[in-house]
Amino acid sequence: MKSSTLGALTLAIYLITPVRAEEIVVIVNPAAAPISKQQLADLYLAKSSSLIPIDQAANSAMYVEFYKKATGRDTAQVRAIWSRILFTGLGIPPKQLPNSAAVKKAVAANPKAVGYIEKSAVDASVKVALPLD
Amino acid sequence: MNFTRDFAIGAAVFALAAIPARGAPAIDEYVTFSGFGTLSEAHSDYRLADFTGTITAPDGVGYTRSWSPALDSDLGVQANITLTDALSGVVQVLSRDDVDGNFKPALEWANLKYEVTSDLSLRLGRIILPTYDRSDTQNVGYTLPWVRVPAEITYTGSATYADGVDALYRVKTGAVTQSLQLQWGTATEDLPGLAFTSNRAHVMLFEDTLQYGAARLHLAYEKCDTLGFPPSRLDLVDAGFTYDPGAWFVTAAGNHTQDTYFGDFISGYVSGGIRVGRFTPYTLYSSTHAQSVGSSGLRSLGDQHTVAAGLRWDFAENLDFKLQGEQVTIDTLDDPAAFSRLQPGVHIGDKANVLSLALDFVF
Repeated sequence: MKSSTLGALTLAIYLITPVRAEEIVVIVNPAAAPISKQQLADLYLAKSSSLIPIDQAANSAMYVEFYKKATGRDTAQVRAIWSRILFTGLGIPPKQLPNSAAVKKAVAANPKAVGYIEKSAVDASVKVALPLD
Repeated sequence: MNFTRDFAIGAAVFALAAIPARGAPAIDEYVTFSGFGTLSEAHSDYRLADFTGTITAPDGVGYTRSWSPALDSDLGVQANITLTDALSGVVQVLSRDDVDGNFKPALEWANLKYEVTSDLSLRLGRIILPTYDRSDTQNVGYTLPWVRVPAEITYTGSATYADGVDALYRVKTGAVTQSLQLQWGTATEDLPGLAFTSNRAHVMLFEDTLQYGAARLHLAYEKCDTLGFPPSRLDLVDAGFTYDPGAWFVTAAGNHTQDTYFGDFISGYVSGGIRVGRFTPYTLYSSTHAQSVGSSGLRSLGDQHTVAAGLRWDFAENLDFKLQGEQVTIDTLDDPAAFSRLQPGVHIGDKANVLSLALDFVF
């Protein structure tokens, strides 16, 4: 019991640490145009629907870090903003994918998709649209 | 008579019902389910009338009973359906204490949306009627700073949806984002005074929401022509402002209504709060005042004002708990906005102390 808790904790720290330490980059399809930081904030705060934003798992370290850097908002505020959009029938929150590999795959498959992953995970299937740091 | 409604809802429901027949993709590929709700209790110490919190409830707390969960409890379930890149639909079913005093689930929205471009959309069916700054999510407690939208601000127009069509257009001018909405349809207006509930009305609405950084401005004009009795024409202008940089917020709204039958009204509220970790203490002042007498002959209809303070606690993901205390002053004997069942002995200036507890959730 105790050791499994400790194990989970170690795993959690192991999972969180490398993400925190690494730079996050915004990625788009190789065929897409680069985007500005203002455009990015608009997309992820429901002020624009010109592109399709994709999220990492809710409350993952990457998700928390991304919203802080890209929008200046904490996750509770982001959730409140998207709840308002969802329950006014105006749109649905970005689809949440479990990890960077899944985000990369989705962005590579759709010229209108935008996502964010750690810099080291970038390969030729996607294009860096904007560094976040 | 109800052609617009029947046609609009019929068309939307038909199109939505036709989706599963396409088979092929897994259900979560084109349907997203979500929901919201509130569990609450409210209490009033004023025994000579019922505090209802809204004009549409037949009774409340104070006279009929001391405590009640019915004022603010609700449950909504929503399905967003993506048909193609351009065509989508939304259906929302809402259960809350209604004019008949039961929680029978009712269709709040059922509409189809066609995106002509990424900035222009057209909708058909049962569509939200965004008369007020907060009317877009007034049933979703989680998105509100308070336990409920102040009864004063919604006194003159209580319809939350219309059956018809609308156009949505988004314009970016520098850092300012504008969302424009133009809407036609028929709505069910619950007019002041329970004798006149469930009037169908032709409604036209124009709304403009401007966002600039952490500031948001809502402007709306609504025109209603009642189809039944009493014959009335309503013109409502509403403005709402919110500034929410994160660590604190201020929000205020006001509206002016001209109603040929009930008279002219002016209503408003101002509110603010500070976010300290997971806690958000807030205060609220709201008021409604009749400025003239319409052909009904009723004077100072709806008059009341409220001073409130509360605390929101975001104790877990997608959950919050609120505790709100308010003092509501009765400024008329002609249907004060948030009261019903006035008993002999009620005087102008009487105050009701109301305590509300609410647990809000979204899923």
